[in-house]
Amino acid sequence: MSGVGEAVLEVKDVHAGYGNLKILRGINMNVPTGGIVTLLGGNGTGKSTLLKAVSGLIPLMQGDVFFDGVNISKMKPHQRMRLGLVQVTQAKEAYPAMTVEENLVLGAYTRRDREATKADLEKVYDFFPVLRERRKQLSGTLSGGEVQMLVIGRGLMASPKMLMLDEPSAALAPKVVLEIFANINRIAKSGVTILVVEQNVRMALILAQYGYIIRDGVIMMQGEADNLISDPAVKDSFLGGSVADTSKALRN
Amino acid sequence: MGFDFNSLLAFIIFGITIGVVYGIVALGISLIYSGLDIVHFAHGEMYMFGAFFGLVLAHNVGVPYPVALIGAMILTALLGMAVERVFYRRLTRAGGGYTVAGMGMIICGFGMSVALVNTAYFFFGAEAEPFRANLDYIPRLSFPGDIEVPESYVLTAIISVLLMASLHYFLRHTKTGLAVRAVAHNKDIAYLMGVNVPLMISLIFGLACGLAAAAGVLIGPMQSVQVEMGYLMLMKAFAAAVVGGFGSLPGAIVGGIMVGIFENLGAAYISASHKDIYAFLLLILVLMFKPSGLFGVEAKVKA
Repeated sequence: MSGVGEAVLEVKDVHAGYGNLKILRGINMNVPTGGIVTLLGGNGTGKSTLLKAVSGLIPLMQGDVFFDGVNISKMKPHQRMRLGLVQVTQAKEAYPAMTVEENLVLGAYTRRDREATKADLEKVYDFFPVLRERRKQLSGTLSGGEVQMLVIGRGLMASPKMLMLDEPSAALAPKVVLEIFANINRIAKSGVTILVVEQNVRMALILAQYGYIIRDGVIMMQGEADNLISDPAVKDSFLGGSVADTSKALRN
Repeated sequence: MGFDFNSLLAFIIFGITIGVVYGIVALGISLIYSGLDIVHFAHGEMYMFGAFFGLVLAHNVGVPYPVALIGAMILTALLGMAVERVFYRRLTRAGGGYTVAGMGMIICGFGMSVALVNTAYFFFGAEAEPFRANLDYIPRLSFPGDIEVPESYVLTAIISVLLMASLHYFLRHTKTGLAVRAVAHNKDIAYLMGVNVPLMISLIFGLACGLAAAAGVLIGPMQSVQVEMGYLMLMKAFAAAVVGGFGSLPGAIVGGIMVGIFENLGAAYISASHKDIYAFLLLILVLMFKPSGLFGVEAKVKA
């Protein structure tokens, strides 16, 4: 069980979508314990849908999801979360009308161990000192980077085994992204498994050990991050689709 | 009739006491709206059922008035939760969640209102029943200038303020209250935080219906209890909620008090036989000059 190795999250042949609209068409994915895995893809490729299917916000049409060896396919989101599988939502989805501290306390909603929760709150404040300064402020008044720190901190408050991050670099300045990613790395070092969904391919592949590339609801490519980063096909697929075709056509 | 300052004061005091009752019904409507995005048209019937439950408990079972009040709140909360669980939730699931159930939910609320009224006719009959409550232990309040406020009004004011204060405490200072607010803002995120969202939705509905029941039991000793009493209360509570800013909890209370005062002043100085019009006159005025209601800006800070 030690170190990187055994899969803590296994996604097996997952089909899912909204209503009659199927978005994921047979996804297979493994996230090993203690590692950082990234899921890459452009807009509308099914990244967020996959996260929702794993966290339980949308039902599976087919396939199974295992967490820590348990089949969680039929569980409600709050039950999955209680197993230690915590999804950090996009930054815009903090609770703007709650204070920073209320947001963090909410992250620990399921915990009964008061002392440890308090200690974790201090830990989150040590991780992100700016949150301590602003703890009485409404989170709606924070900057984009600060809100991102807040949602990550809120995820940590649940004392997770695994964190799933939904585009932590979205709409942030490069300098802030660097800071956030450094913190994600620190969190992983502390023993939390990380799955990070990203559009920022280069940054994500530097951070992660392993990467999956999703397109049109299927895993198009996967491999060690170091291999992916130098793969010309990756570059293509990201400027890919109609945009790249159009720009190629324009160039010719 | 010359202008009499004392009677003006009296009308205002009575307006406030009846207004806080509108306020707590409106509070329930706002709670359901801000929490579940349902405009609950059967809320007047929850108020009516609450009054009848209180009446049955006090007269037929013979428990003291405060026990009847609490009992009625609990029974009505259970009724509300059952209605939500069996009917509304099914509809929202078909529609893809509370926020998008839209028009179907409104029709369903109206239908529920009619169904509940007829159920009440079946059990309680069409007679208006007086609610006799022994309130001798409550002091009458005397204000300067020979204004006497009867026991039932004093009690109403005290209980309403207590209810509002406890709701405020619950929402602001308890962990479950935090979860309720989280569900109100965004159900998906609340789910991801480990909040049992379906349970919280039941809780919100139960709380709101319990509040309506309290209003019913409080109004009981002032007026009589009858099956059709829900309609007018619903309309006035709606007026109160809109005046205060739909979905805003403080707004619901302020709106209720304003409706109460406006109504009493209108009845006193314009025409008592048109008493029920004034609430809507106020509603129209507010909609003309401040369509979002008095606390309306705050009301929609939802994500």
